Amino acid sequence: MTPLVRASGLSKVYGSGAAAVRVFENLSLEVAAGEFVAVVGPSGCGKSTLLHLLAGIDSPDSGFVEIDGVRMSSLDAAERAKLRNERIGFVFQFHHLLPEFSAAENVALPLRIAAVPPREARRRAGEILERVGLSGRAAHFPSEMSGGELQRAAVGRAIARRPRVILADEPTGNLDRANAERVFLLLREVQRESGGSVVLVTHDAALASRCDKIFSMSTQGIAQGTAVETSGGIGNPDV
Amino acid sequence: MPLELSIAWRYLAASRKRAHVAVVSAIAVGGLAVGVAALVLSIALLTGFQDRIRERLSRDTPHLLVTPARGADLPGVPALAAEIARNRDVSAVEPFVEGRGWITDPGSRTALPVRFRSDPAVADGEAAVAGAVAGQIGTGRGGEVRLVADRTRLTPLGAVPIALALKVASVSTAPPSAAQPEVGLSLSDARALSGGGGVSGLAVRLAQAGRAEAVRAQLAPRLGPGVRLRTWSETNPGLTFALRLEKILIFVTVFLIVVVASLNVVSDLALLVVEKRRDLGVLATLGAAGPSLSRIYWWLGASIGGAGTLAGAGAGAAAAWALDRFALVPLPADVYLMSHVPFALHARDLALVVAFSLSAAMAAAALPARSAGRVGPAEALRLSR
Repeated sequence: MTPLVRASGLSKVYGSGAAAVRVFENLSLEVAAGEFVAVVGPSGCGKSTLLHLLAGIDSPDSGFVEIDGVRMSSLDAAERAKLRNERIGFVFQFHHLLPEFSAAENVALPLRIAAVPPREARRRAGEILERVGLSGRAAHFPSEMSGGELQRAAVGRAIARRPRVILADEPTGNLDRANAERVFLLLREVQRESGGSVVLVTHDAALASRCDKIFSMSTQGIAQGTAVETSGGIGNPDV
Repeated sequence: MPLELSIAWRYLAASRKRAHVAVVSAIAVGGLAVGVAALVLSIALLTGFQDRIRERLSRDTPHLLVTPARGADLPGVPALAAEIARNRDVSAVEPFVEGRGWITDPGSRTALPVRFRSDPAVADGEAAVAGAVAGQIGTGRGGEVRLVADRTRLTPLGAVPIALALKVASVSTAPPSAAQPEVGLSLSDARALSGGGGVSGLAVRLAQAGRAEAVRAQLAPRLGPGVRLRTWSETNPGLTFALRLEKILIFVTVFLIVVVASLNVVSDLALLVVEKRRDLGVLATLGAAGPSLSRIYWWLGASIGGAGTLAGAGAGAAAAWALDRFALVPLPADVYLMSHVPFALHARDLALVVAFSLSAAMAAAALPARSAGRVGPAEALRLSR
């Protein structure tokens, strides 16, 4: 069966010449439909860069990424943007809601980008906010919301287009335990309902251990295993 | 409302809360407004003067001149006059006789070469003389002049000049032109001087001088190739060209203020691109393509340009109206033939100013818009951490 997310032989270098920084090399991973996987590893090992490559907002120096069987490198910029809008939901560590827009308007953004009429987009955003427990906050602006609420609104924005893949970059990194748990359960629930995949970058070993699979990254590469097998481990690139 | 427009307006509305962006935005809008107001006022001032000149010209000269394509006399005058009179824009058709000669004072101390033409308003034995000519030969209303034709009459004593003694009935203040010779005479006096029984052409007056081009286009095929039709603008080519050139030069010169003001739009939008880099990265991650991100800045340029242009056009138009309506800039009437500086704003001029100003603002938005469309989302997100 074709994996929903497939990365093969990825390498990424920032800068050039003597100032070049190699983030990772020959990195491969596969995530099947219905899987909720965690990517763990020390700071600076390239977890966020990996998510950016999987989302198609950055390009690898070598290797390729396929989402739902579509190879990113075969698409032009506009097609990649369309694929992101339709099939990928992205949750940032710092919510990144647009401060000039209300919670409902932020959630409706992916729909508006997809040319859904404003009225319909507002209606669907209302449903999603209810789904993430923020129905009373629809008209509130980010500056008027708590950290947990902001991150739940960000999850709402990520699932607005019912994407097949959700990429979450430390979504609980700035939350207290209760809010982190709430956001994690929300992502888990959404993934189970949609039958899609979630790739969760996290530093939280406890959360990672509750995922179906863990990819453990290091400066040497990435290792895959169950939560028990890989916890704290550093793998080799060929695994 | 398109998503890009709603984002642009939110950015503008929110910029009020950020002092540095608010100041730069206010300078951009204010600069454009001042530039556009200056342009509107300049054009209104120039148009006011030019309208007076044209008004005077159209009042004193025929709106259409019908002359023979070849030769001195116009053939088939009654039929031509009847055909022309059938046009509903035509209010009067008069045959005229014209020629050249010299005008002298009664003592023949000073002689000036002049053109003369029959004028239905002038009685036999009288002459309407251009002010400049009257001044040069030292005569005025009620004075006497002699008009000598440029041809002679054969007599038993040999060739003698054909001359008429005329009383000055009026002194015209209108500038002489091809359509308005220096001396006006009665038809019979003009015929006596020119020596023929024919007609040099037909002078046509219209209900509206501005319809001259249209009427010429209607009449030309009906009158046939034997006649030449010239509008009052064409019979005054030098003046018409000078007026048009003057307007173009003033427009271009004052428009430079708008161009300079548009540079503020560039800096304002460039600042917004840098400040909103993270948002651009987020929108790109959500699936907005580069052209869509560019459109946000096109809309910002259009909004700033639109606000500045409308404010400036409104202020300029209001000021021009008030200056003209209440005669706020007086002039010595005996020197300038008008009691105040006239301002006139035509809808076409205003539309042109608005169109050029908006175009300048949009051109200024091009660079920031292009830059926004090229923001790398990953880089934007990385830098905004």
